[in-house]
Amino acid sequence: MFKVQSKRSEKIKKIAILAVFLLLLLLILNLFQKEVRSFTYSISSPVQKALWKTGNNFSGFIVSFFKAGSLKKENDEIKTRNQELLARIASLEESKRENEILRQALEIGLEKDFKLILAGVIGKDASQDFILIDKGFEDGVSKDDPVITSARVLVGRISEVYKKSSKVMLVSNKKSALNAEVIERNVSGVIKGEGGQKIIFDLIPREEELSNGDVVVSNGLEGVFPKGIVVGQVSDIKKDDTSSFQQVEVKYGFDIKRENALFIIVE
Amino acid sequence: MSYKKTSVAIIVLCLILLLQTSFLVHFGLFGYVPNLIVVFLIFWNIFDRDKNLISSGLIASIFGGLLLDLFSSRIIGFNVAIMIAMSFFIKVIFKNYVRVPFIERF
Repeated sequence: MFKVQSKRSEKIKKIAILAVFLLLLLLILNLFQKEVRSFTYSISSPVQKALWKTGNNFSGFIVSFFKAGSLKKENDEIKTRNQELLARIASLEESKRENEILRQALEIGLEKDFKLILAGVIGKDASQDFILIDKGFEDGVSKDDPVITSARVLVGRISEVYKKSSKVMLVSNKKSALNAEVIERNVSGVIKGEGGQKIIFDLIPREEELSNGDVVVSNGLEGVFPKGIVVGQVSDIKKDDTSSFQQVEVKYGFDIKRENALFIIVE
Repeated sequence: MSYKKTSVAIIVLCLILLLQTSFLVHFGLFGYVPNLIVVFLIFWNIFDRDKNLISSGLIASIFGGLLLDLFSSRIIGFNVAIMIAMSFFIKVIFKNYVRVPFIERF
């Protein structure tokens, strides 16, 4: 009887010690969260960087292997699209020239370009829509700096900065929201993250006409992202009789599988 | 608790996490990558027949949860709590209700 009781009390004592030790450990880790994470990422980033590049090359190879059949069709479509875009560039060049002449005449300076920092992707968050990049406050990165791709597609904003790495909250994160517009149709709304790399274009009045393929760009009203950065393309439009707004699904322009290098806008 | 088994589990967990956050991202289906750490810990706890309170399954679960927390944006301890609960749940179920002969041999 005594033996059983002493065994039980020993067991309870063990559980209590383990629980207290664990709670203390977690408390300390949470108090020094930034330092702990910074240290962990500094150790893991060289391996992660190599794995990211290997994964990117390997997936590219696999995709080209399986999609060999549809490549011809895709190539034809791209050629047609390319011709359309060339025609559009020609007309835009003409507008640009006119614009420059008018600016000179009115003595207005051209808008300065962004100051950019090149950063490499080293990993994706284990659970949510965040990515890890290899530039930190040592390189001049600060919180809320916008991040774009080389093709000027919006990726997200810096949410946490560490010594040599930073965390980027993707536009598709559930906590992310930004003002955006479809310039061709003069329609404005809010881009909201849905998680799982999905985004929606919300708060658009029912009367506004949009169609699949329309390009959604940021309009900079929230004061974080610059104006005119591509967010994605309209992929599905849902109009509900009970709601005064329509909800538009947008195909996120940033494909995490394709990008190795990103740009952080620091000024 | 076997220190050898626990060390092996910790090394494997580190490797899985690095693969999951950097390599497997490129092979996800519809943007989703399975949480291999959870899958590994479930199997580790099922096959861990250590009857001590502090078993290698429990330590591996704490470490795995900690790794998931460090590489996510949540408060540190969120995944640790889930993994500990999962470990205890599996241990209780297998101790009291399940008898699989070939598992007993491990």
